[in-house]
Amino acid sequence: MKALLVGAALLLAALGQTAVAPLFPLSAAVPDLCLVALVLVVVFGGPREAMVAVPVVALTFAFASNRSPALALLAYLPLLPLAYYLEDGRVPLNRFAQTLVAAVATGAWARLALALGAMADGAAPQPGILVAGILVPGLMLDLLMVTMAYLPLRALGVEPRALEIPRSRYGWS
Amino acid sequence: MLIFSRYTWWVGAMLGFAVFLTAAGQVGVLHPVQGAFLVVTRPAEELLTSIFRPMAGFLSDAGAISDLREENRRLRLENEELRTQSISLQTDAERVKQLEEALKISQGAANERYLAANVVHRDSSAFTDVISIDRGSNSGVRVGMVVLSSQGSLMGTVTEVFASRSFVRLITDSKSKVAAQVQSSQADGIVKGAANRTLTFDLAQADIKVGDIIVTSALTGRYPAGLPIGKVTDVGGTQQDLFRKVTLEPFVRLSTASTVLVQTSFIPQNLLEAGD
Repeated sequence: MKALLVGAALLLAALGQTAVAPLFPLSAAVPDLCLVALVLVVVFGGPREAMVAVPVVALTFAFASNRSPALALLAYLPLLPLAYYLEDGRVPLNRFAQTLVAAVATGAWARLALALGAMADGAAPQPGILVAGILVPGLMLDLLMVTMAYLPLRALGVEPRALEIPRSRYGWS
Repeated sequence: MLIFSRYTWWVGAMLGFAVFLTAAGQVGVLHPVQGAFLVVTRPAEELLTSIFRPMAGFLSDAGAISDLREENRRLRLENEELRTQSISLQTDAERVKQLEEALKISQGAANERYLAANVVHRDSSAFTDVISIDRGSNSGVRVGMVVLSSQGSLMGTVTEVFASRSFVRLITDSKSKVAAQVQSSQADGIVKGAANRTLTFDLAQADIKVGDIIVTSALTGRYPAGLPIGKVTDVGGTQQDLFRKVTLEPFVRLSTASTVLVQTSFIPQNLLEAGD
Protein backbone atom coordinates (compact mmCIF):
# COMPACT_ATOMS: atom_id res chain seq x y z
CA MET A 1 0.00 0.00 0.00
CA LYS A 2 2.80 2.37 0.95
CA ALA A 3 4.65 1.50 -2.25
CA LEU A 4 1.52 2.25 -4.29
CA LEU A 5 1.09 5.62 -2.62
CA VAL A 6 4.72 6.52 -3.16
CA GLY A 7 4.48 5.38 -6.79
CA ALA A 8 1.38 7.51 -7.36
CA ALA A 9 3.07 10.50 -5.76
CA LEU A 10 6.13 10.07 -7.98
CA LEU A 11 3.93 9.79 -11.07
CA LEU A 12 2.08 12.95 -10.08
CA ALA A 13 5.37 14.75 -9.51
CA ALA A 14 6.66 13.77 -12.95
CA LEU A 15 3.39 14.77 -14.63
CA GLY A 16 3.32 17.96 -12.60
CA GLN A 17 6.80 18.74 -13.85
CA THR A 18 5.40 19.03 -17.37
CA ALA A 19 1.86 20.24 -16.67
CA VAL A 20 2.26 22.49 -13.63
CA ALA A 21 5.87 23.60 -13.07
CA PRO A 22 6.15 25.63 -16.32
CA LEU A 23 3.22 27.74 -15.09
CA PHE A 24 5.37 29.08 -12.22
CA PRO A 25 8.72 30.11 -13.72
CA LEU A 26 11.46 32.13 -12.09
CA SER A 27 13.38 33.81 -14.91
CA ALA A 28 13.90 30.95 -17.36
CA ALA A 29 13.98 28.25 -14.67
CA VAL A 30 11.01 26.27 -13.45
CA PRO A 31 10.57 24.36 -10.17
CA ASP A 32 11.91 20.81 -10.45
CA LEU A 33 9.16 18.71 -8.89
CA CYS A 34 10.86 15.50 -10.00
CA LEU A 35 13.96 16.45 -8.05
CA VAL A 36 11.96 17.34 -4.93
CA ALA A 37 10.08 14.03 -5.08
CA LEU A 38 13.31 12.09 -5.53
CA VAL A 39 15.03 13.94 -2.68
CA LEU A 40 12.15 13.03 -0.37
CA VAL A 41 12.34 9.38 -1.41
CA VAL A 42 16.12 9.31 -0.94
CA VAL A 43 15.96 10.93 2.50
CA PHE A 44 12.81 9.42 3.96
CA GLY A 45 12.28 6.31 1.85
CA GLY A 46 15.63 4.63 1.98
CA PRO A 47 18.15 3.30 -0.55
CA ARG A 48 16.17 0.51 -2.19
CA GLU A 49 13.17 2.75 -2.84
CA ALA A 50 15.43 5.47 -4.22
CA MET A 51 17.15 3.03 -6.60
CA VAL A 52 13.77 2.23 -8.14
CA ALA A 53 12.37 5.75 -7.96
CA VAL A 54 15.16 7.45 -9.93
CA PRO A 55 14.66 5.56 -13.22
CA VAL A 56 10.87 5.53 -12.80
CA VAL A 57 10.64 9.30 -12.35
CA ALA A 58 13.16 9.96 -15.10
CA LEU A 59 11.28 7.79 -17.59
CA THR A 60 7.91 9.23 -16.63
CA PHE A 61 9.18 12.78 -16.98
CA ALA A 62 10.84 12.00 -20.32
CA PHE A 63 7.70 10.39 -21.76
CA ALA A 64 5.43 13.18 -20.57
CA SER A 65 7.66 15.96 -21.90
CA ASN A 66 8.94 14.13 -25.01
CA ARG A 67 12.55 14.48 -23.92
CA SER A 68 15.28 11.90 -24.27
CA PRO A 69 14.74 9.20 -21.59
CA ALA A 70 18.48 8.53 -21.39
CA LEU A 71 19.22 12.21 -20.81
CA ALA A 72 16.52 12.47 -18.14
CA LEU A 73 17.99 9.41 -16.40
CA LEU A 74 21.50 10.85 -16.48
CA ALA A 75 20.15 14.16 -15.18
CA TYR A 76 18.90 12.67 -11.89
CA LEU A 77 21.49 9.91 -11.57
CA PRO A 78 23.95 11.72 -9.23
CA LEU A 79 21.40 12.32 -6.47
CA LEU A 80 21.62 9.00 -4.68
CA PRO A 81 25.43 8.47 -4.77
CA LEU A 82 25.95 12.10 -3.78
CA ALA A 83 23.54 11.84 -0.86
CA TYR A 84 25.31 8.67 0.27
CA TYR A 85 28.72 10.31 -0.03
CA LEU A 86 27.58 13.24 2.12
CA GLU A 87 25.95 10.97 4.66
CA ASP A 88 29.04 8.80 4.88
CA GLY A 89 30.63 11.48 7.01
CA ARG A 90 33.04 12.98 4.51
CA VAL A 91 31.48 16.42 4.93
CA PRO A 92 30.67 17.75 8.41
CA LEU A 93 27.04 18.75 7.84
CA ASN A 94 23.79 17.86 9.54
CA ARG A 95 21.20 15.85 7.63
CA PHE A 96 19.17 18.86 6.49
CA ALA A 97 22.26 20.60 5.13
CA GLN A 98 23.36 17.37 3.45
CA THR A 99 19.94 17.11 1.81
CA LEU A 100 20.11 20.69 0.56
CA VAL A 101 23.62 20.23 -0.84
CA ALA A 102 22.67 16.99 -2.61
CA ALA A 103 19.48 18.55 -4.00
CA VAL A 104 21.10 21.75 -5.21
CA ALA A 105 24.07 19.98 -6.79
CA THR A 106 21.83 17.44 -8.54
CA GLY A 107 19.41 20.19 -9.61
CA ALA A 108 22.24 22.21 -11.13
CA TRP A 109 23.57 19.12 -12.89
CA ALA A 110 20.09 18.19 -14.15
CA ARG A 111 19.44 21.64 -15.59
CA LEU A 112 22.91 21.75 -17.10
CA ALA A 113 22.51 18.30 -18.65
CA LEU A 114 19.10 19.09 -20.13
CA ALA A 115 20.34 22.45 -21.49
CA LEU A 116 23.46 20.84 -22.96
CA GLY A 117 21.21 18.19 -24.49
CA ALA A 118 19.14 20.94 -26.13
CA MET A 119 22.32 22.60 -27.41
CA ALA A 120 23.64 19.31 -28.77
CA ASP A 121 20.30 18.95 -30.51
CA GLY A 122 20.68 22.26 -32.35
CA ALA A 123 19.94 25.07 -29.91
CA ALA A 124 22.36 28.00 -30.04
CA PRO A 125 24.92 27.87 -27.19
CA GLN A 126 24.30 30.75 -24.78
CA PRO A 127 26.42 30.19 -21.65
CA GLY A 128 25.48 33.55 -20.14
CA ILE A 129 21.77 32.80 -20.26
CA LEU A 130 22.40 29.25 -19.11
CA VAL A 131 24.04 30.54 -15.92
CA ALA A 132 21.99 33.68 -15.24
CA GLY A 133 18.64 32.49 -16.54
CA ILE A 134 18.60 28.82 -15.58
CA LEU A 135 21.26 27.71 -13.10
CA VAL A 136 21.13 30.58 -10.58
CA PRO A 137 17.32 30.93 -10.41
CA GLY A 138 17.08 27.13 -10.50
CA LEU A 139 19.37 26.89 -7.48
CA MET A 140 17.13 29.26 -5.54
CA LEU A 141 14.02 27.35 -6.57
CA ASP A 142 15.56 24.05 -5.52
CA LEU A 143 16.58 25.43 -2.12
CA LEU A 144 13.10 26.81 -1.57
CA MET A 145 11.19 23.75 -2.75
CA VAL A 146 13.30 21.20 -0.87
CA THR A 147 13.13 23.27 2.31
CA MET A 148 9.35 23.60 1.96
CA ALA A 149 9.01 19.85 1.54
CA TYR A 150 11.63 18.68 4.07
CA LEU A 151 10.90 20.79 7.14
CA PRO A 152 7.14 20.04 7.44
CA LEU A 153 7.83 16.30 7.19
CA ARG A 154 10.46 16.54 9.93
CA ALA A 155 8.04 18.61 12.01
CA LEU A 156 5.49 15.81 11.61
CA GLY A 157 8.01 13.39 13.06
CA VAL A 158 9.09 11.60 9.87
CA GLU A 159 12.66 10.40 10.41
CA PRO A 160 15.35 10.39 7.71
CA ARG A 161 16.62 6.93 6.82
CA ALA A 162 20.20 5.84 6.47
CA LEU A 163 21.49 5.27 2.95
CA GLU A 164 23.94 2.55 3.97
CA ILE A 165 22.89 -0.71 2.33
CA PRO A 166 23.17 -3.68 4.73
CA ARG A 167 26.08 -5.90 3.68
CA SER A 168 24.13 -9.12 4.05
CA ARG A 169 21.41 -7.99 1.65
CA TYR A 170 23.69 -7.93 -1.37
CA GLY A 171 26.59 -9.91 -0.09
CA TRP A 172 29.36 -7.93 -1.71
CA SER A 173 31.53 -4.85 -1.33
CA MET B 1 35.00 5.52 -0.69
CA LEU B 2 32.02 6.05 -2.93
CA ILE B 3 33.72 4.42 -5.87
CA PHE B 4 33.93 1.16 -3.93
CA SER B 5 30.48 1.49 -2.39
CA ARG B 6 27.44 -0.62 -3.07
CA TYR B 7 26.03 2.16 -5.21
CA THR B 8 28.68 1.60 -7.85
CA TRP B 9 26.83 -1.33 -9.36
CA TRP B 10 23.61 0.67 -9.41
CA VAL B 11 25.22 3.63 -11.20
CA GLY B 12 26.72 1.20 -13.69
CA ALA B 13 23.36 -0.44 -14.23
CA MET B 14 21.70 2.93 -14.78
CA LEU B 15 24.36 3.96 -17.29
CA GLY B 16 23.77 0.70 -19.12
CA PHE B 17 20.03 1.35 -18.99
CA ALA B 18 20.61 4.84 -20.45
CA VAL B 19 22.54 3.29 -23.35
CA PHE B 20 19.71 0.82 -23.87
CA LEU B 21 17.14 3.63 -23.84
CA THR B 22 19.15 5.56 -26.41
CA ALA B 23 19.35 2.55 -28.70
CA ALA B 24 15.66 1.74 -28.18
CA GLY B 25 14.74 5.34 -28.96
CA GLN B 26 16.79 5.27 -32.16
CA VAL B 27 14.98 2.22 -33.52
CA GLY B 28 11.56 3.50 -32.45
CA VAL B 29 10.80 0.84 -29.83
CA LEU B 30 9.90 3.45 -27.24
CA HIS B 31 7.40 5.30 -29.44
CA PRO B 32 4.41 2.96 -28.88
CA VAL B 33 5.27 2.73 -25.17
CA GLN B 34 5.30 6.50 -24.91
CA GLY B 35 2.03 6.69 -26.86
CA ALA B 36 0.35 4.30 -24.44
CA PHE B 37 1.78 6.20 -21.49
CA LEU B 38 0.36 9.49 -22.80
CA VAL B 39 -3.09 7.93 -23.25
CA VAL B 40 -3.10 6.47 -19.73
CA THR B 41 -1.83 9.61 -18.01
CA ARG B 42 -3.95 12.06 -19.99
CA PRO B 43 -6.77 12.37 -17.41
CA ALA B 44 -4.31 13.04 -14.59
CA GLU B 45 -2.46 15.59 -16.66
CA GLU B 46 -5.67 17.35 -17.66
CA LEU B 47 -6.76 17.39 -14.02
CA LEU B 48 -3.48 18.97 -12.93
CA THR B 49 -3.67 21.53 -15.71
CA SER B 50 -7.28 22.44 -14.95
CA ILE B 51 -6.41 22.99 -11.28
CA PHE B 52 -3.17 24.89 -11.59
CA ARG B 53 -3.62 26.93 -14.79
CA PRO B 54 -6.27 29.22 -13.27
CA MET B 55 -4.10 29.48 -10.16
CA ALA B 56 -1.11 30.51 -12.24
CA GLY B 57 -3.27 33.00 -14.10
CA PHE B 58 -4.50 34.42 -10.82
CA LEU B 59 -1.02 34.78 -9.39
CA SER B 60 0.13 36.36 -12.62
CA ASP B 61 -2.68 38.90 -12.53
CA ALA B 62 -2.34 39.63 -8.81
CA GLY B 63 0.79 41.66 -9.35
CA ALA B 64 -1.09 44.44 -11.09
CA ILE B 65 -4.46 46.08 -11.04
CA SER B 66 -6.59 43.21 -12.16
CA ASP B 67 -9.16 45.17 -14.17
CA LEU B 68 -6.54 46.96 -16.19
CA ARG B 69 -4.71 43.74 -16.87
CA GLU B 70 -7.87 42.02 -18.00
CA GLU B 71 -8.67 44.91 -20.27
CA ASN B 72 -5.13 44.89 -21.57
CA ARG B 73 -5.36 41.21 -22.38
CA ARG B 74 -8.67 41.64 -24.18
CA LEU B 75 -7.33 44.56 -26.16
CA ARG B 76 -4.20 42.61 -27.08
CA LEU B 77 -6.32 39.81 -28.45
CA GLU B 78 -8.49 42.21 -30.39
CA ASN B 79 -5.42 44.03 -31.63
CA GLU B 80 -3.79 40.81 -32.75
CA GLU B 81 -6.94 39.73 -34.53
CA LEU B 82 -7.28 43.03 -36.34
CA ARG B 83 -3.61 43.12 -37.21
CA THR B 84 -3.78 39.57 -38.50
CA GLN B 85 -6.79 40.41 -40.63
CA SER B 86 -5.06 43.51 -41.94
CA ILE B 87 -1.88 41.61 -42.79
CA SER B 88 -3.83 38.85 -44.40
CA LEU B 89 -5.76 41.33 -46.53
CA GLN B 90 -2.59 43.16 -47.52
CA THR B 91 -0.86 39.91 -48.43
CA ASP B 92 -3.82 38.71 -50.43
CA ALA B 93 -4.15 42.04 -52.23
CA GLU B 94 -0.47 42.02 -53.10
CA ARG B 95 -0.64 38.46 -54.36
CA VAL B 96 -3.76 39.11 -56.43
CA LYS B 97 -2.15 42.20 -57.90
CA GLN B 98 1.00 40.31 -58.89
CA LEU B 99 -0.93 37.43 -60.40
CA GLU B 100 -3.22 39.70 -62.34
CA GLU B 101 -0.35 41.76 -63.63
CA ALA B 102 1.99 38.93 -64.53
CA LEU B 103 -0.23 36.01 -65.42
CA LYS B 104 -3.61 37.53 -66.11
CA ILE B 105 -5.33 35.03 -63.84
CA SER B 106 -7.41 35.47 -60.74
CA GLN B 107 -6.79 33.72 -57.46
CA GLY B 108 -9.25 31.09 -56.39
CA ALA B 109 -10.87 31.11 -52.99
CA ALA B 110 -8.73 29.64 -50.26
CA ASN B 111 -9.83 26.24 -49.07
CA GLU B 112 -8.07 26.06 -45.77
CA ARG B 113 -8.99 23.63 -43.02
CA TYR B 114 -8.09 23.94 -39.37
CA LEU B 115 -8.32 21.65 -36.38
CA ALA B 116 -8.81 23.26 -32.99
CA ALA B 117 -6.75 21.77 -30.14
CA ASN B 118 -6.15 22.50 -26.49
CA VAL B 119 -2.69 23.03 -25.07
CA VAL B 120 -2.10 20.26 -22.54
CA HIS B 121 1.30 21.23 -21.29
CA ARG B 122 4.22 23.45 -22.05
CA ASP B 123 7.88 22.52 -21.75
CA SER B 124 9.59 25.83 -21.54
CA SER B 125 13.13 26.75 -20.61
CA ALA B 126 15.72 29.15 -21.94
CA PHE B 127 16.54 26.75 -24.76
CA THR B 128 13.35 24.83 -25.39
CA ASP B 129 9.81 25.95 -26.00
CA VAL B 130 7.56 23.00 -26.75
CA ILE B 131 3.86 22.48 -26.11
CA SER B 132 1.75 19.37 -26.38
CA ILE B 133 -1.80 19.45 -27.71
CA ASP B 134 -4.69 17.06 -27.19
CA ARG B 135 -4.97 16.03 -30.85
CA GLY B 136 -2.95 13.41 -32.64
CA SER B 137 -2.91 11.05 -35.57
CA ASN B 138 -6.48 9.95 -34.80
CA SER B 139 -7.57 13.48 -35.67
CA GLY B 140 -5.43 13.70 -38.79
CA VAL B 141 -2.46 15.56 -37.33
CA ARG B 142 0.86 14.78 -39.02
CA VAL B 143 4.46 15.71 -38.35
CA GLY B 144 5.35 18.99 -40.06
CA MET B 145 1.88 20.51 -39.96
CA VAL B 146 1.72 24.19 -39.13
CA VAL B 147 0.17 25.33 -35.85
CA LEU B 148 -1.45 28.75 -35.52
CA SER B 149 -2.90 30.79 -32.71
CA SER B 150 -6.65 31.12 -32.52
CA GLN B 151 -6.19 34.47 -34.26
CA GLY B 152 -4.15 33.01 -37.12
CA SER B 153 -0.56 33.94 -36.21
CA LEU B 154 2.16 31.33 -36.63
CA MET B 155 2.93 29.48 -33.40
CA GLY B 156 5.02 26.50 -34.45
CA THR B 157 5.27 23.14 -36.16
CA VAL B 158 4.21 19.65 -35.16
CA THR B 159 7.34 17.62 -34.38
CA GLU B 160 5.98 14.37 -32.95
CA VAL B 161 2.58 12.71 -33.23
CA PHE B 162 0.92 10.05 -31.11
CA ALA B 163 -2.62 8.70 -31.34
CA SER B 164 -4.25 11.43 -29.28
CA ARG B 165 -1.37 13.76 -28.49
CA SER B 166 1.09 15.82 -30.50
CA PHE B 167 4.14 17.84 -29.58
CA VAL B 168 4.62 21.24 -31.18
CA ARG B 169 7.90 23.13 -31.37
CA LEU B 170 7.09 26.82 -30.97
CA ILE B 171 8.81 29.42 -33.13
CA THR B 172 10.60 30.73 -30.02
CA ASP B 173 12.33 27.38 -29.44
CA SER B 174 16.08 27.67 -30.03
CA LYS B 175 15.92 24.98 -32.71
CA SER B 176 13.14 26.64 -34.68
CA LYS B 177 13.91 28.12 -38.11
CA VAL B 178 11.15 29.55 -40.30
CA ALA B 179 11.51 30.82 -43.86
CA ALA B 180 10.07 34.31 -43.77
CA GLN B 181 9.98 37.63 -45.54
CA VAL B 182 9.42 41.28 -44.85
CA GLN B 183 5.86 41.90 -45.91
CA SER B 184 6.48 45.33 -47.43
CA SER B 185 9.69 44.63 -49.36
CA GLN B 186 9.35 40.86 -49.67
CA ALA B 187 13.01 40.46 -48.71
CA ASP B 188 13.59 36.86 -47.71
CA GLY B 189 15.21 35.75 -44.48
CA ILE B 190 14.97 33.24 -41.66
CA VAL B 191 13.17 33.74 -38.37
CA LYS B 192 15.07 31.89 -35.65
CA GLY B 193 14.14 31.14 -32.10
CA ALA B 194 16.77 32.38 -29.68
CA ALA B 195 17.60 31.79 -26.05
CA ASN B 196 15.05 33.03 -23.51
CA ARG B 197 12.17 32.64 -25.94
CA THR B 198 13.04 35.54 -28.21
CA LEU B 199 12.86 35.78 -31.99
CA THR B 200 15.52 37.03 -34.40
CA PHE B 201 15.31 37.59 -38.14
CA ASP B 202 18.34 36.89 -40.33
CA LEU B 203 18.37 38.57 -43.70
CA ALA B 204 21.18 39.77 -45.93
CA GLN B 205 21.51 43.42 -46.93
CA ALA B 206 17.94 44.55 -47.14
CA ASP B 207 16.20 47.63 -45.87
CA ILE B 208 14.32 46.85 -42.70
CA LYS B 209 13.00 49.10 -39.98
CA VAL B 210 11.24 48.90 -36.65
CA GLY B 211 7.57 48.19 -37.14
CA ASP B 212 7.97 46.10 -40.29
CA ILE B 213 5.73 43.06 -40.42
CA ILE B 214 7.32 39.64 -40.93
CA VAL B 215 5.28 36.86 -42.53
CA THR B 216 6.06 33.29 -43.57
CA SER B 217 7.54 32.55 -46.96
CA ALA B 218 6.74 29.52 -49.11
CA LEU B 219 10.39 29.32 -50.13
CA THR B 220 11.24 26.05 -48.38
CA GLY B 221 7.83 24.47 -48.86
CA ARG B 222 7.47 23.94 -45.15
CA TYR B 223 5.09 26.85 -44.51
CA PRO B 224 2.27 28.41 -46.46
CA ALA B 225 3.04 31.95 -47.57
CA GLY B 226 1.77 34.98 -45.73
CA LEU B 227 1.15 33.72 -42.22
CA PRO B 228 1.84 36.55 -39.77
CA ILE B 229 4.81 35.89 -37.46
CA GLY B 230 5.67 39.13 -35.74
CA LYS B 231 6.72 42.74 -35.85
CA VAL B 232 10.26 44.12 -35.92
CA THR B 233 11.05 45.71 -32.56
CA ASP B 234 14.79 46.35 -32.90
CA VAL B 235 17.31 46.62 -35.71
CA GLY B 236 20.98 46.50 -34.73
CA GLY B 237 24.08 47.28 -36.77
CA THR B 238 24.43 49.66 -39.72
CA GLN B 239 23.34 49.67 -43.35
CA GLN B 240 26.83 48.50 -44.30
CA ASP B 241 26.60 45.31 -42.26
CA LEU B 242 26.05 42.15 -44.27
CA PHE B 243 23.78 40.71 -41.59
CA ARG B 244 21.95 43.06 -39.28
CA LYS B 245 20.64 41.95 -35.93
CA VAL B 246 16.87 42.10 -36.14
CA THR B 247 14.65 41.27 -33.17
CA LEU B 248 10.98 40.41 -33.52
CA GLU B 249 8.02 40.41 -31.21
CA PRO B 250 5.60 37.60 -32.03
CA PHE B 251 2.02 38.64 -32.63
CA VAL B 252 0.70 35.90 -30.42
CA ARG B 253 1.42 35.67 -26.69
CA LEU B 254 2.89 32.21 -26.84
CA SER B 255 3.10 31.79 -23.08
CA THR B 256 -0.61 32.15 -22.44
CA ALA B 257 -2.20 30.45 -25.44
CA SER B 258 -4.51 27.66 -24.36
CA THR B 259 -6.17 26.91 -27.71
CA VAL B 260 -4.40 26.51 -31.04
CA LEU B 261 -5.30 25.68 -34.62
CA VAL B 262 -3.57 22.97 -36.63
CA GLN B 263 -3.68 23.79 -40.34
CA THR B 264 -4.56 20.36 -41.72
CA SER B 265 -5.02 21.57 -45.29
CA PHE B 266 -1.34 22.40 -45.74
CA ILE B 267 1.05 19.49 -46.20
CA PRO B 268 4.72 20.50 -46.10
CA GLN B 269 6.69 19.90 -49.29
CA ASN B 270 9.09 17.44 -47.64
CA LEU B 271 6.16 15.20 -46.64
CA LEU B 272 4.69 15.38 -50.14
CA GLU B 273 8.04 14.42 -51.64
CA ALA B 274 8.35 11.55 -49.18
CA GLY B 275 4.95 10.35 -50.37
CA ASP B 276 3.80 10.24 -46.80
